Parts: sequence; structure tokens; C-alpha cells
Amino acid sequence: MRGMIHVNRWLGRGTACLVLFVWAPWAQAVPGGLPAPAAHADSSPEWESLREKLFPSRAIDTTPGTVQIIAPLRAAYGASVPVKVVSKLPQTPGLYVKRLYLLVDKNPSPIAAVLDLTTEVGQADFETRLRVDEYSHVRVVAELSNGQLHMDSRYVKTSGGCSAPPNRDALHLVGKTVLKVPEPVAMNLPTPAEVTVLHPNDTGFELNQVTVMYIPAHFVRSIKVSYADKKVFDAELDFSVSENPSLRFNFVPHGQGQLKAEVEDSKDGRWVGTLAVR
Amino acid sequence: MHQLIVAVCIAVWLSLVPASAVSAGVPAPYSPLVIQPTGMPARHEFDLSAALARARRENKRLYVYLGAHNCPFCRRYEAFLEQNAAELVPHFAAQYIVVDLRSSLSVTADQLFIRIGERALPYADFQRSIGDERARMLVYPSVWLLDPDAKPLMQMPAGTGTFQTVPEQLEILRLEQ
Repeated sequence: MRGMIHVNRWLGRGTACLVLFVWAPWAQAVPGGLPAPAAHADSSPEWESLREKLFPSRAIDTTPGTVQIIAPLRAAYGASVPVKVVSKLPQTPGLYVKRLYLLVDKNPSPIAAVLDLTTEVGQADFETRLRVDEYSHVRVVAELSNGQLHMDSRYVKTSGGCSAPPNRDALHLVGKTVLKVPEPVAMNLPTPAEVTVLHPNDTGFELNQVTVMYIPAHFVRSIKVSYADKKVFDAELDFSVSENPSLRFNFVPHGQGQLKAEVEDSKDGRWVGTLAVR
Repeated sequence: MHQLIVAVCIAVWLSLVPASAVSAGVPAPYSPLVIQPTGMPARHEFDLSAALARARRENKRLYVYLGAHNCPFCRRYEAFLEQNAAELVPHFAAQYIVVDLRSSLSVTADQLFIRIGERALPYADFQRSIGDERARMLVYPSVWLLDPDAKPLMQMPAGTGTFQTVPEQLEILRLEQ
């Protein structure tokens, strides 16, 4: 199985033109080498290893009711799997979701995002799109302000996510950061917003068809969002987030102010997007 | 050199496919409604109108398969269908009319048109018109599950690699998401 996955990645990297026409299902398509059926709540060797590194000796509650992850069993493209995190806990100073970990067990780099939250998000719901390289669990671990850990997971079936060729239509716009909020904005209530960074988020696994060289990894490393100079959340990201990384989130505007996103990538590129909220 | 490697890969791949599956298309036990393209060479247009009319008459859904005669991954899926026909055909036949669109890898997204009634749309526009997320990239093979009004019954993945086991194929037919 592992050998076939390497073949898959190698083929995907080496033949992006072919992949444009033929999705490469090598690892999933070979009789006898198929991934064992998995339930959404199952563990995996990769998760057990991650768990030891990220949360050593800590209990993780998987009882439904605190945090939920929503993802399709099969996404249209493995390179862009829509993932939604829903928190069932209101963000109050007494108890709130302090950190969210988004993990893709079998990705080459499984920690897709770590979101460091404040009560200014109002409601700790997030949406983004992830690359999922092969059949894998996608997990969210919520760390509460009292130290408790809660987890939910979904099993997602894809192929070729990290090998899919990136969109390079607008390289001159790399780093452009766009914020959106609905009109009108309701004050003192959790308000949905979206930040998008135009960026190829290169994984390092794609081949440049002209130079026949691998495109070096180049991805958005962090997005820090504030409102009226007050931190809303900081996101540490990875190339497991799809190209043009975007986050849908909530924030609570307590009056007119500026919504601001500070972006940094893995080549020390820095950009800022702002939006006046009235 | 690079092209040679690709050719070798495809040759090895094809060598793994049983000879019985080398002929292109959905295997006969599935009683596919084969649709050949028209309008060539300028365009490759596939008309779904008759298939949809039949689906309305028979109160069934459409399982629309887009394959290419020169696509190793299509052969692989077709071989899977053939090898498991005894188990799968009854499930297909109970609810679906299988529609087999015969294309070629050389037919790109802007050349491939889908016609329903008076309206023919290029691939990406067709996908957008039915709310399918696979508008960005044409992938062979592709499968659509449509109701008799051409509405997708669920979002399908690109390719068929995630439903090439019997349990997974049945998951798809049951519309499990």
C-alpha cells in the first residue's frame, strides 16, 4: 500500500499534464491494496502518533456535543475539500474554545491549521478548504479555556489532492488579501466574515512542466485577524490548506472599526488586508 | 525522457488490466445506453435528452459515465464493473439507467458539450448550470447521478478511484455522502 502511494505521488508530480485529464486513483484502485473500511470515529496509526506529540497524556473527549466537523465523504477534488467546524459552545469569558487544531491524518504534513482564538470570535465556527492526499480521517480538536480537549472526525475519500496541479493564472496577485462581511453588520453579535489570500500555497510536490523542476514549497504560514486593534484569532497554517487559503469565521463588532488580516508566508512575504466596518 | 516514463507507466498500468476489459465502454451486462458524440471535429456534443425522457418514463435515475477510449483509468473502472457485474448489475438495474458517453482524452473541456433539449453547454458551463463543483477541471472518467430532470442527486468526486470496490460502488448507488 505504501509503495503504491509513492507511485501515486511520483506519477502525480511527474505528469501533471496527464493528471489534468486523468485523476490518478492508483493507491485506491488496486484490488488487494485497498484501504480498509474505516468509520468516521476510528483512530489511525498516524493519529495515535500525532496525539502523542500534540497532546501527550491528555484525555480527549469524543462525546458529541462540543465540537463538530463537517466534510463530505467524497469531495469533488481532493485538492479542495470543504471543511466546516461547528462549535456548540458560546465564547464566554468563563469558558470558551481557546484553540482549534485541524488535522488530516495521512497528509505528508498532517497539521493543516492551528487556530488560536479569543472571545472576540463570538462563536468558534470556521470554514476552510483542505488538501486531502489520500483516504484519511480529517479531525478537529478543540482545546477549551479550562484545558479540556474535545474531538470530532470524519473519514474522507479522495485521491490525488496533494498532486493536483495548482492554478497559476494570477501569480502577480499573490498575497492579495480580501476580507468580506455581510451588509449591514449587526453590532454586538457574532458576525460572519471571510478572509481569502490569493496564493498558490505550493506543497513542494508539483512539477513545473516547463522547467521540469519541482516547485518549491511556498505557502501561507499565518493569518492574524484583529478588529479595532483587538485580536480576534491567529491562524498557523500549512500547505494542507488549499490554494488561495480562505477562512470563514465570526467576530463581534462592538462599534465601528477596522477588520484587519496580517498574512505571512513561508518565504517571509507579508501582506495586510483591511476592511472598514460600519 | 519524461514522456518515455509516462508511456512506460501507462503500459505497465494497461498490462495490469484484464484483457477482457480492454474494449472501451461500460460492460454489456449493465445494458448501457451508449451515446456517441456529434458535431465533430469542432465539438463533441453528447445529447442526454433521450436518456432523460426514458428516465421519466421508467421512473429511474441516470448513471451517466463519461469515458475515453484511450484512458487507462477508464479501462480500470470498466474492468471493475465487468468483474463484479453479477453482484452490481441488480443494484444498478433497480434504480438506474446507465448512460455511456464515449469520448477521447484529446477532447478538452471547451470541446465537450452536453445537450439537454434545445440547450447545449460546454463542459464547465454545464457543470455550473447544475451546481456541480467539478467545473474547474475535466477529468476522465467522470460520473454524474442525475434525476429525470437532470438535477444531480449528489456531488460526485472527480474520477472513479474512490468507488472501485463493491461496497464503495454500492455506497454511491445509495447516495451516501
